[in-house]
Amino acid sequence: MQLTLEFGGGLELLCDSKKIHNVNIEQHNGEDKLIMKDLLSWVQTNLIKERPEMFMKGDTVRPGVLVLENDCDWELSGQLNTSLEDKDVVVFISTLHGG
Amino acid sequence: MACNGSGCQSGGCYKDEDATCKQPPKSEEADSKNPSNVCIKCKLNDAVSGYGGIDDGRFCADCFKTNLFGKFRFAVTSNAMITPTDKVLVAFSGGPSSRVALQFVHDMQERAQRNFDASRDRSLPVFGVGVVFIDESAVLPIPSNEMEEAVEVVSEVVSSLAPPRKELHIVPIETVYSSDSGDGKERITKVVNTVIDPTGREDVLLCLRMLALQKVASEFGYNRIILGSCISRIACHVISATVKGQGYSLPADIQYVDARWEVPVVLPLRDCFAQEINMLCHLDGLKTVKLSTDLCSSINGLVSSFVALLQEENPSRESTIVRTAGKLTPFQFNRIPEIIDGNVPLATRRRQKRYNLKSNESVSSESFCPLCNSPLDKSEITDWSNIDSHRSSDIFYNTCCSSCRFQILPSDSMAMEQFYMDLPQSVVGRAKQANNGNLSLLREQIQDYLLSDGEDET
Amino acid sequence: MEGEGGERKRGARLCCVCKKSRASVKRPKTLEQICRECFYDAFESEIHQVILENQLFSPGERVAIGASGGKDSTVLAYVLSKLNRLHNYGLHLFLLSVDEGITGYRDDSLETVHRNQIQYGLPLKVVSYKDLYGWTMDEIVRVIGLKNNCTFCGVFRRQALDRGASLLKVDKVVTGHNADDIAETVLLNLLRGDVARLSRCTSITTGEDGPIPRCKPFKYTYEKEIVMYAYFKKLDYFSTECIYSPNAYRGFAREFIKDLERIRPRAILDIIKSGENFRISTSTKMPEQGTCERCGYISSQKWCKACVLLDGLNRGLPKLGIGRSRGSVASDNGNESKVEKSIQGKQCTTLDF
Repeated sequence: MQLTLEFGGGLELLCDSKKIHNVNIEQHNGEDKLIMKDLLSWVQTNLIKERPEMFMKGDTVRPGVLVLENDCDWELSGQLNTSLEDKDVVVFISTLHGG
Repeated sequence: MACNGSGCQSGGCYKDEDATCKQPPKSEEADSKNPSNVCIKCKLNDAVSGYGGIDDGRFCADCFKTNLFGKFRFAVTSNAMITPTDKVLVAFSGGPSSRVALQFVHDMQERAQRNFDASRDRSLPVFGVGVVFIDESAVLPIPSNEMEEAVEVVSEVVSSLAPPRKELHIVPIETVYSSDSGDGKERITKVVNTVIDPTGREDVLLCLRMLALQKVASEFGYNRIILGSCISRIACHVISATVKGQGYSLPADIQYVDARWEVPVVLPLRDCFAQEINMLCHLDGLKTVKLSTDLCSSINGLVSSFVALLQEENPSRESTIVRTAGKLTPFQFNRIPEIIDGNVPLATRRRQKRYNLKSNESVSSESFCPLCNSPLDKSEITDWSNIDSHRSSDIFYNTCCSSCRFQILPSDSMAMEQFYMDLPQSVVGRAKQANNGNLSLLREQIQDYLLSDGEDET
Repeated sequence: MEGEGGERKRGARLCCVCKKSRASVKRPKTLEQICRECFYDAFESEIHQVILENQLFSPGERVAIGASGGKDSTVLAYVLSKLNRLHNYGLHLFLLSVDEGITGYRDDSLETVHRNQIQYGLPLKVVSYKDLYGWTMDEIVRVIGLKNNCTFCGVFRRQALDRGASLLKVDKVVTGHNADDIAETVLLNLLRGDVARLSRCTSITTGEDGPIPRCKPFKYTYEKEIVMYAYFKKLDYFSTECIYSPNAYRGFAREFIKDLERIRPRAILDIIKSGENFRISTSTKMPEQGTCERCGYISSQKWCKACVLLDGLNRGLPKLGIGRSRGSVASDNGNESKVEKSIQGKQCTTLDF
């Protein structure tokens, strides 16, 4: 599945200071469904290079990190259960940096 | 280290070792503390540690106990919490704090009894003590065998205390409904289950518990209720009340004395830390029980883990929080009503005068939320001109504080009506009373605009 | 905008205001789901209401926006200049930035402010530590190391902003403090035992007795909405932490606020409400303000804090003036300052303004 991931608000510093990542995610066990929960763990293993605690807390993003799927607040689409589709754009923005 | 596990599971004794080595020096005094580990007070016995706070590890077990009891007794005497003619009711949940409160009240009563026996004229009576345990199994998911066990422990604890004998009242929470209604259990379950917000559910239970305590106290002629709230508990309350937008009413809940109830409530352990209390339970082998209730995703649960974290970082954090909140202006009812009784020794009366709040400090005409009984801030007192409903449940809704409205009351009008019908009579009655109070307050506010008798003749 | 595809799979959640467009944001204040355009409207008009209700400005006033290049001040500059145009406030707006002299941090964020100057057409004034005090933060850190550097920076910044404001001859300074910041400050003051500050920290306008009053139009605005607004509007802001206190950003209190927001978004406004309603007797006042004998800045002591620190630096005794001197501090034992750091949130950003 092709996804565009964008990191902002300082989160890009955790992944080589690169804001936009075009990624291809292999679904495990042949399932064709990918939800945000899967994506988060994928991002944590594959993209986050330092201070993972700034991105995740428990099994979800750290409180204060906003998530948008195709420019829609994930709080409207079921947060961790938001289902993803090919070519989706997912944006992560930290509200915690700077004033 | 002095403690090895059992008895003080929640006290953090297990982290004793690393706490002592990573703790930064607190002061010169503490720094040079006890190379030989001798108690700094009696200089005889070995000091013990594990009771937290900035004095941890400086006193021996006996001096630690004396200090802790001293804090309790100072709170009691300086606020005239217990006088010889009183009959006090200790609210005992089975937990460490109320266990220690019970023990200390008992110790005090024993002393009073000894003095009474020794005195020639026997002029000073010995105050009476009763104990109440509220069985909340109707509204909490507690396995019945666990509750039976708790009741057993509680009964055993109370009966094993030396004379004078203390009456034990084991009362189900549904006692808040009059006994003749019969369906109390059903109604209280409905009330609690209507509350969706997990924090609101915990808080409504708190209100009901207080109601039950009040009922037992007035039924059996007690004139004080003693709670075991310790400083750690109060610090949590300060933060959670702030988080719930209850900043105005907050000072009402955290004083030594809270006389807004029919039977005044007192907090003699207000200056004792949870860790000290756990330590005492451990040292003296005081038996406690803990019911398996889950403080899960509520604001209250989040706050207590936050405060615990801060306390771990700095052993005086809890007391700083309570001291800060203590600087907020308390209410008129945060004191024992003046004693006019000639039986009370002059010294007690004088002491009370000295420590009690200045009576002119705050306005006496407070309005209260009928549900949680917290004093209402001006902005929360309903402007009745905007409300056209005459339905009692709507009126009730509008007399409640905004925090109760948000986290406890159903927003749907039908559900609200059902909720209202299921509330205990005492709560509903409070609302009616509050209403009258508000009316008179309103009259007060618009007094200038009212025509006096003489004027309206033109 | 995603076309049919996006709509289909997510059951086309519609905006609860216009009932036409796809909802994009869940508003923390109201829990409404709202589309982008309606969100802009709600966001801006709420700030307009706050400005009106609190009578923050009068026509013809000169107002400096404290601009760090970060999200809050960038959005503030954008929204304020928009509202000024839209509602004819009649304000003369300026951007005011402080250059602490931190290579690799402030120089980058100042570039953002320079771009904002052009984007929003607002005149910019930059005051630098070097010009005002003769020292850059880089130089100060070289002398004092990474301990207490935030103390210097905070004291200097506060005063620098006032000096810049008087150079611009403005009547007011506005800062980008948002609801989360204020809620955090209420908690911190409770935790620290600072009743005097507790009583003032929720005021929307402060320093009315001082040279230049400061106000916070974002007092009731959620951080989440500010960031969403900046993201949707593609506003150009800078978001890197200060190199001298890389982990200082957001301590326990901030984390706690965010945890609270997750289970009850309203908690942030409730904390502010509590702060506003605390019964604090008027006798707990701040010490009386005089002026510094050396530089003339307001001060309750003979010399203002900046002059004390500066004197220490210049005499080669940088430890001078460090330590807590203000009243009503909880426990003065040595570990307090260390622990403060961990409960403290944003020492190094706008909170100190």
